[in-house]
Amino acid sequence: MEELKMQTIRLRLKEEVMSGVAKIPVIVDALTPDKLFGKSEAEIKGVKIWWGNREENTGDLFEVSVEGDATSEAEVKIVMDGDLSRVKYIGAGMKAGEIEANGDVDMHCGAMMRGGKITVRGNADCWAGCEMHGGELIIEGDAGANLCAMYRGEMTGMTGGRVVVGGNVSECAGQYMAGGEILIKGNADILAGLNMKGGKITIEGDAIMPGADMTGGEILVKGKVEDMIPSFKFVETTTVDGEQYRKYIGDLAMTEKRAKGILYVK
Amino acid sequence: MVEITDVVCPLCGCVCDDIVVEVEDNRVTKVRGACAVGKSKLMGHGRIKSPAIRVNGALKECSYDEAIKKAAEILAGARRPLLYGWSSTVCEATKLGVCLAEEIGAVIDNTASVCHGPSVLAIQDVGLPSCTLGEVKNRASLIIYWGANPTAAHGNHMKRYSYIAKGYFLPGGKKDKKLVVVDVRETKTAKMADKFIQVEPGKDYLVLSALRAVLYGHEDVVPDNVGGVSKEDILEVANMMKEAPFGIIFFGMGVTQSRGRHNNIINAIQVTRAAHTHTKFNIMPMRGHYNVTGFNQVCTWETGFPFAVDLSRGFAWYNPGETSSTDLLIRRECDAALIIASDPGAHFPGESIKHLSKIPVIQIDPFANPTTEFADVVIPTAVSGVEAEGSVYRMDGIPLRLRKLVDTDYLSDEEVIQAILEEVRAIKSKEGE
Repeated sequence: MEELKMQTIRLRLKEEVMSGVAKIPVIVDALTPDKLFGKSEAEIKGVKIWWGNREENTGDLFEVSVEGDATSEAEVKIVMDGDLSRVKYIGAGMKAGEIEANGDVDMHCGAMMRGGKITVRGNADCWAGCEMHGGELIIEGDAGANLCAMYRGEMTGMTGGRVVVGGNVSECAGQYMAGGEILIKGNADILAGLNMKGGKITIEGDAIMPGADMTGGEILVKGKVEDMIPSFKFVETTTVDGEQYRKYIGDLAMTEKRAKGILYVK
Repeated sequence: MVEITDVVCPLCGCVCDDIVVEVEDNRVTKVRGACAVGKSKLMGHGRIKSPAIRVNGALKECSYDEAIKKAAEILAGARRPLLYGWSSTVCEATKLGVCLAEEIGAVIDNTASVCHGPSVLAIQDVGLPSCTLGEVKNRASLIIYWGANPTAAHGNHMKRYSYIAKGYFLPGGKKDKKLVVVDVRETKTAKMADKFIQVEPGKDYLVLSALRAVLYGHEDVVPDNVGGVSKEDILEVANMMKEAPFGIIFFGMGVTQSRGRHNNIINAIQVTRAAHTHTKFNIMPMRGHYNVTGFNQVCTWETGFPFAVDLSRGFAWYNPGETSSTDLLIRRECDAALIIASDPGAHFPGESIKHLSKIPVIQIDPFANPTTEFADVVIPTAVSGVEAEGSVYRMDGIPLRLRKLVDTDYLSDEEVIQAILEEVRAIKSKEGE
């Protein structure tokens, strides 16, 4: 078998970009493996990205270096360093390849992604994995609100792919989720799986008000559930992966006809 | 002395339009029919005397021209400016504000961001089965105030539009009506209620879900106690709703700004929907400032979105939580701000005020307030509805025309924004040359 070639593009945010009184966000949806595939170092430095209300050259905001070659998008890996806490849309819309972000990242990381893999070695702010269709998003720290949810006005959140959060998640994780899988190793704040209609959320820690207005899909809470939604119907006690759970269906507040969501609670 | 009738009050979202004002020597001397706060605004108080620019930490008086020029320089040079406020001024000023935001690539946002913004989000998700306040007055036999305390915040609301008002089909006033209040504490409004439901703080969402389940016929699954409210009480309120020929839920910041926020409102609107399987029910937000609704109207017809609109990339991007003022400021995203007809200095969380105090701030307001304390450019204006006229929208979306009662030397909000816009355009065209 032919050995997979790898190209590594290193992007380090320059210190002066975030050293002012205001931390003005940099928007990097133009810097995904599929969009940078085939570009030279000089060409990458010339890619336009937004910093506030002005467009700048990537090379003016990031130190850029390229090692190795790639014969396809899948062989491109982007490594991001520096203060990424106001770098928005990391890996948003990406189709292939890999991104490794070393540190806390700002909003919309992995939003609308279709393929490839993003690893965040830190926390991810709100809307990570929002309306994600495929690929893999690994957040080693905590995730902000609306993880894998939808943008305002949309009625469908994540439809495919796999997301793992090592820490806790904020409000409304997986809202309007229709497919794919989310594994939360810590706790989930209020309304995880709100309006969920498909896919699966596993919460290893505790959850508050999970599953409200659910019409499909499955939520499994291994820890405690605080403020259980009062409009779920108890079905039976059952065993999942060798452990006992109380199985509920809901949400009956959405009418009986639509209440097809399943919630497993200890 | 001149008596002016049918004066429109520029204070809260009730926008009472039956006020009588007496004017003597170009001054309002008497106000009849307004609540205490409305009267105080119409009578006038604590005005900013002159435009001013902060020099070495102190505000130094200057001309309108100098202040407007300085404001334009700050805004034209900013990379992430915020234009915030707009709820206590007229639609004509807001319209120019949107032009200014577009010109400088700013975020434009109004006080809904810290008030009924969550309601606006909810309405976009599930709609708003609503009516006018006139319909409420004449038809609503069941009135529910949820997380709202009109006796304190909307002085004339119950008297003019709801529980106490005598209506065409309900001539006995409150004798013909029932009042339910849901709140975390027994407010003055709650003391007047036929039924008061005390919910534990942050648990409104659960009670609303339970009400929906009951209205859809699933009372069997509802536990004995939901968020501190007994199942009997939930069943009683559900029955009152079913039996009322026409009912309304008025909701306030007790639900929009507590745990669950916009999702509480989505749930409340869906309670209204569930009630429609039995009777005619309506729901309405208790909007605060007199033209907070008007900003949302103008911003929507100009940009497609009602508030928190980011125009930095040349198109309208709407994402409350990211593009809303408190979030932008807590995250230290902004490098300049224009604050008009509002007072974030008094109402924003500490972290956002801290950032505001560090960046250049332009204030446009008739009155001095805590925001003045850190503003770098202060531009006083005429009081809309007293010294200047213009269009505003009542909390139920009814447009009304504010009247001019007395003359003034102050420029109007509209004139000041227009002047800043022209100055910004001059700077931009010079840069382009």
